[in-house]
Parts: sequence; C-alpha cells; structure tokens
Amino acid sequence: MPWNRVWEHLFLVLAGSGFTIIFGLALGITAYLCPKISKAILWSVDVLQTIPSLATLGILMVLFGGGKTTVIVGMVLYSLLPIVRNTHTALNGVSPAVKEAAIGMGMSRLYRLVFVEFPVAFPIIFTGIRISAVTSISVAVFGTFVGGGGLGDTLYRGIYIQNMKLILFGTAALMVMAILMDSLLNVVEKRLFKHSMK
Amino acid sequence: MIEYRNVTKSYGGKQVVKNLNLTIADGEFVVLIGPSGCGKTTTLKMLNRLIEMDSGEILINGKNVAEYNPEKLRRNIGYVIQQIGLFPNMTVEENICVVPKLLKWDKERMHKRVLELLELVGMTYEESGKKYPNEMSGGQQQRIGVLRALAAEPPIILMDEPFGALDPITRDSLQDEVKQLQKRLGITTIFVTHDMNEAIKMADRIVFMSGGEILQADTPEEMLRAPANDTVREFMGKHVAKTRMDDPALHCGDVMKKKVLTAESSKKTLECLELMSAREVDSLVVVDSARKYLGIVTIEALRERGEAGRPITELLDTSAPTVQVDEPAQQAFGKLLASKALNYVIVLDEQQRVVGIITRTSMSKALASVVWGVKK
Ligand SMILES: Nc1ncnc2c1ncn2[C@@H]1O[C@H](COP(=O)(O)OP(=O)(O)OP(=O)(O)O)[C@@H](O)[C@H]1O
Ligand SMILES: [Mg+2]
Repeated sequence: MPWNRVWEHLFLVLAGSGFTIIFGLALGITAYLCPKISKAILWSVDVLQTIPSLATLGILMVLFGGGKTTVIVGMVLYSLLPIVRNTHTALNGVSPAVKEAAIGMGMSRLYRLVFVEFPVAFPIIFTGIRISAVTSISVAVFGTFVGGGGLGDTLYRGIYIQNMKLILFGTAALMVMAILMDSLLNVVEKRLFKHSMK
Repeated sequence: MIEYRNVTKSYGGKQVVKNLNLTIADGEFVVLIGPSGCGKTTTLKMLNRLIEMDSGEILINGKNVAEYNPEKLRRNIGYVIQQIGLFPNMTVEENICVVPKLLKWDKERMHKRVLELLELVGMTYEESGKKYPNEMSGGQQQRIGVLRALAAEPPIILMDEPFGALDPITRDSLQDEVKQLQKRLGITTIFVTHDMNEAIKMADRIVFMSGGEILQADTPEEMLRAPANDTVREFMGKHVAKTRMDDPALHCGDVMKKKVLTAESSKKTLECLELMSAREVDSLVVVDSARKYLGIVTIEALRERGEAGRPITELLDTSAPTVQVDEPAQQAFGKLLASKALNYVIVLDEQQRVVGIITRTSMSKALASVVWGVKK
C-alpha cells in the first residue's frame, strides 16, 4: 500500500493549514481593525470559496507551474473563509462592556487586541481553524491534478486501473485523517477554553 | 481637585452637556443623579477621555486632561461600570492586576496588593484568587470590578451605576463597602446613579443634572431640605418617603443621645469597674486621647479576665455595632435590632470619634416623633 502518499498528504495538509491560519488570522484581524475595508476582505474571501477548487488550481498552475507550492497556495485560498469570517465575527462579538473596561483601564490598541480581545474571541476563532483544517484534507486531494502528490494520486490511480483495494485504502486514509484531525483539535479546544466560555 | 470649566458636548447638533461647571475637592464623594439621558455618563466619561468634549476644559490638579496621553491618564483614574466588564480570560488575580501590570509593578508588589485588596472586601486569595469571573456571582464580580479599579491606588475613581444591576441586598452591602473604602483611602469619587436612596447614602455632595445642565449641587441634607426647583423636588419625592421611620432624611445624629459614658484607653481594670458601678451601667465605650473609638469593655470581660492594674485595652471588644453620624437613622435601628449582645449602637463622626449612642429608648422616641409629629 502507498503509505508514502499518506505522509505526503499529511504534509500538504499541515503546510496548507499553517499558512491558512497565518493569512486567515491576519485578514480577519485587519477586517476587524479597519471596518472600512472589512466588507471588501470578507467579500473577496467569500468569492474565492465559490470558485470550484479544481478551477482555482488550474489558474494557479498557469501562474506557478505544477507541484506542491501550487497545491498549498490553492488550499490556502480555498480554506481561508472559515478562519477570516470567524475571526472577524468573534472579535466584533466581544462584549462591549469588556472592551470599554479595557479602554478605561488604559490599555493601548495593540495591548487590548493581544491580551483581551483575541483571547476572549479565541474559542470561536479556533472553531474556524478546525473547520478549515478538516476541509483542507479533502481540498488536498485535487492536488494530484497539478502534480502535487498526496492521496489524490492514490485515488486517481485506483480509479484509472480499476483497483478497488487502492480506492478503499485512499478513502479510508482520508477519513481517518479527517476524524483524527477533528478529534485532536477538539481535545485541544476543550483544554484551552475551560474557562473563557461564558 | 477636579474642575469642569464650561464643558460642552453635542451629538448631531443636540447639546447633551451644556456649559457645565463643577469643582470637586480631593477626597470628595460626588454623586451625579438625574433622569435618564440627562448627560451623567457623558459628563463622567469626558474626565477619563472615553468621550472627547467639544469645548471647555477639565482640569485635574490644575492640569488639563487634554494634555495627558489618554492611556496614561486612564491608568490613574479607576473606572467601574454597571456591566462590570471583567476580563473573562483572566483569573480574579489577573483582573485585579491589569492596571498595576500596565504600570509595570513587579510581581511581588502586585501579589501583595491582591491579597490586601481581597481582604478589604472579606475575600481570601485561596478561595477566590484563581477563580475565573464566570465562576462567581454578580455581586462578587462587581466587588472584583471595584478592586480592579482601586488596584493601582488611583487618586480618582469613576463609577457609572456600578450597582444598578445587583439585587437589593448585595447592592446594600457593596454600597457600605465602597463608602468605607472610599473614606478610608480618601479617593476622590464621581459616582453616577439614578437611585436617590443610593445618592443620599453615599454622597458628600449630590449633583442633580437635567437636560445636560446642573440644576443643583448640594449635600444630601440640603438637597432634601431645600430642593432647588420642582424638577428636583419631584425626583426626590419619588425616592424619598418623608414621613416614614426609614426616612433617610432622619440621620443618626438626629436621634442619638449625646451623653456617652466613655473611658480613655489608658484606664485600668479597677477604675472602670468603679465607674460602671457608680453609673449603674454594664459596659463602657473606650476611646483614645483624641476621643477616637477603639471598642467597648463589658462588665463580663472585666470580671472574667480583668485584674488589678491590667489596662483595659487588653479586654476590648471591637465587635460592637457602630454607625456614622450622617448615616440614615434607619441603619442604626437595623443594627440595634439585630444586635443581641449590646443594647445600644455607637455613633461616630468622620474622624471615627465617638459623638453619641443610640439606644432602644432613642429609637422609640424617634418613632414617636414621626408618628405623632412630636418635635425631637
Ligand atoms: N454616541 C452617541 N451618539 C449620539 N447620542 C448620544 C451618544 N451617547 C449619548 N448620546 C445621547 O446623549 C444624551 C446623554 O447621554 P448619557 O449617556 O450621558 O445619559 P445618562 O444621563 O448617562 O443616561 P442614563 O441614565 O440612561 O445612563 C442622551 O440623550 C443620549 O441619547
Ligand atoms: Mg448613563
């Protein structure tokens, strides 16, 4: 069985999710801090998601050529939405009393964001991260069409040579990966937010 | 000293604070009161610059608040709001330490301060220090809210309807605690409420606002005696039932007996026994040389533990009920009825000096004067 494809897939997911988190948080926080451009940011991210992932990858391949980079960029573009939206919504949803107290205590803008608003909003942001990470597992399957490898290769080959075992292996591996990822993040979530949920 | 000078603020062409002038002395407890929307919160928030005024100036000790960096200004002004706004991601200890941390106090000093503050409101670190806000009742949360505002020992504290959302019993005890703390620490306080009873209980001076203007600024007593106009009178009338026993206008000072048998703390056992038997009483109020209240000494304590030459300071009972001379008499009556051990309540003035006692007899006399209209 092609175990190396499993590891390859895992690498794509981790790398893709890592960048998605970084960009997603950056965009979500920017949208929160600058209400003037928040509509534009949310709209763009929304639109990206409506493009079929195969089409996104196709366009990216024209720009970047084939390979893992293309897959990772595609995954980032495709799974930004839950993180950006949850970050924006959660930061906006921090209770006005908490925000006013933070200002009234004499915290600077950055200090408030880092030590109050972000931690208070984090449970909802984390849900966004979870959704995005789990989605990226299936998005990475399309990587095979641009030469990115991963379990997409296994599935595609299984279909091509009509090998049921291979197809089942690929499918099972993807499912297990998604379930493990979800429960792992679930545990982390429970650990992190014993208290902050009201 | 805080001075508002010709302060004006408008929203969309409507003036919500109109050319306001107000001077507040150091250590003064000022209560802003008035109908909803009259500009109390706006007046309060212009001081710590949560709201910027349109014209005029506010000076703190002669310096215009506009000249301060707003963040630095706010770290020196305690702030308590009705919705409490504790940080849910922080423990009680961390919440209290927010401003000290911003001021870069060292860890040890912060921890010491937390212990000290919790003790002030009868909470222990072991029990509460590591708790999160959502693990506490509303009353406890607001206690922490007050402590958080006091943490860095600010000279000024602003409170915007801090007890408005609490149940009456919790509110009552928090009012007492805050008033005591404020007096003890000498913090200049501006307190917003629309509960006249609360205003009368807490204020050194009540500032009555309506439509963005000050209609009257006076002591509670004066406000009750001579409301400046019908608006004030009506507002007071709603809150103050004039002909009742629990009339807050009736103060402890009005009903107390001024002759009190006191003993100086330098006295010894035998002198006190002598004094007690001569005057046929079973306890004495012990004061220091400045007549400051120290405690009481009872005949039981003298009999059980007294010996010739032993100073009475070693036999003091400090648990006797006391009231302040300007508190509503109702307070004293409540304490008197609740107290089993002692049949009087000791009345103290602002410097904690003994000025009188209220006995059951003084209580019934006061009752009679209310019911029969007899002059006291
Ligand atoms: N940001 C704002 N924009 C427009 N109008 C405002 C704003 N803030 C306050 N106002 C108006 O200014 C007036 C005074 O408000 P303020 O909050 O000072 O009243 P208040 O005396 O504290 O009332 P309450 O007892 O209801 O808390 C009100 O009429 C209010 O509607
Ligand atoms: Mg208000």
